[in-house]
Amino acid sequence: MKPVYIAGAGMTKFGRSEWSLIRLASEASRSALHHANLGKIPVDGVVVANMGAARINKQTALGSALVDQLALYPAMAEAVENGPASGASAFKVGCQAIASGMADVVLVTGVERMRVVNGLEGTDFVASLSHPEAEYIYGVTLPSLAGMLARLVMSRHGVERKHLAMVAIKNHENATKNPYAHIQQTVTMEGILTLPEAAVNNPPIAEPLHMFDCCPVSDGSAAVVLVSEGIAAKLDAPKVRIAGIGQATDTHAVHEREDPTDLKAVRLASERAFAMAGLKPGDINVAELHDAFTILEIAESEAAGFFPRGEGHKALERGETKLDGKLPINPSGGLKAKGHPVGATGVAQLVELAWQLRGEAAARQVKDAKAGYACNFGGFGNNVVATVLQREAK
Amino acid sequence: MSHEVTGAKCTSCGTTNYPKRAVCSNCKNETFESVAIGGVGKVLTYTDVYALAIDYETRYLRLAIVELDDGLRVTGHLLDDEPKLGKRVKTTIGVVRNPGDKPLYGFQFVPT
Repeated sequence: MKPVYIAGAGMTKFGRSEWSLIRLASEASRSALHHANLGKIPVDGVVVANMGAARINKQTALGSALVDQLALYPAMAEAVENGPASGASAFKVGCQAIASGMADVVLVTGVERMRVVNGLEGTDFVASLSHPEAEYIYGVTLPSLAGMLARLVMSRHGVERKHLAMVAIKNHENATKNPYAHIQQTVTMEGILTLPEAAVNNPPIAEPLHMFDCCPVSDGSAAVVLVSEGIAAKLDAPKVRIAGIGQATDTHAVHEREDPTDLKAVRLASERAFAMAGLKPGDINVAELHDAFTILEIAESEAAGFFPRGEGHKALERGETKLDGKLPINPSGGLKAKGHPVGATGVAQLVELAWQLRGEAAARQVKDAKAGYACNFGGFGNNVVATVLQREAK
Repeated sequence: MSHEVTGAKCTSCGTTNYPKRAVCSNCKNETFESVAIGGVGKVLTYTDVYALAIDYETRYLRLAIVELDDGLRVTGHLLDDEPKLGKRVKTTIGVVRNPGDKPLYGFQFVPT
């Protein structure tokens, strides 16, 4: 396999947007292309990540639409739909095109515009990824699957609601340092858990999970420019190499998994990504995890291999995952506070890592970050893509 | 009219696949017989969910995953005002969703 590099990264601010779906995608793409500063080097391929446009925005064939906006014809183009893991899946497809020698420059853009429908319809759109007969007909939604996971993990590993709140507090704090984040507001333990008013501020969504355990519904787009070794050598920029990608699947219905608290697909995808990179979890300096629900950040931090099983909440409690801790997790604010435009999320995680590894993350910069890890958690853990990026000496 | 929830019992290794699938997850065999599933078991986990999808008939539900005594696990509605992890329940079949044209039947768990 030929080496692949990220030459540029960009995104729109996440949140509620008046822009059309394609306008969002094209703004993020232009920002990534300007960042890459390719000059006259042509773009060979475009991969768009999206989950809901066909249903929510009544638009299909997004690869062709984006090529047209950016006048990149006759570049190859397609869209990838892989539920909430669409972003990292599209990134993988882009990497494969370069690693195989089929392309030298590929633009990968994730986009979602979901605030055009009301929250209940948005919930239904995402719930449609659950098993139609064994889950969906019962009213299963993503928050409910996360709620059932949280209750089980809490009963087995001594995780308490205060630990879930610590994830929210940390990620909201990080997001105030990220101008692209949807929510730019800190929260406190008192305000969301311990004061009587917390019952009003932070109502239950899927017990034991409350509102501040759940990510917001966001519009937004994120993009990266992938290049071959030959092109990377011509660019005067820090070199961020895709060191490893791993992907793994699991049963569609959550109840079928031998141990529903074991995020097996996260574990396997991460093992594969680390093996390909020739690195260990201990080599990672910064991680972006898929904290659509606070419990997931804790569970993924264990399944990815950063902490022993059942001890993720203890590392969190010790402050190890804070911006100035041993392993900063979600310096961007995570899905929890940066926002979660579903198809854009996996790409946005890699945008943050690319900026961190290039030393361009401003107020939330992790000192001396040389290796980064991202977990894009698709389905409810039944399709996971893990990515390891590494900064190379110039 | 009686309603039941069925799984796919593999004709080769005897594993009941629920939900049904085209290839047995245990032995990769491709032929099954349809068998009624359900019985007595314990609550593995549950949630009270207030964020239901649009068009659902209620705004609140108690959902659970139950581990049956035969080892099979199933998802459904928990009809119990005093839910607890590990509590003994049995499966009943009831209307779990009624979108208007045709009611959908599925598992509703009640204390034993």
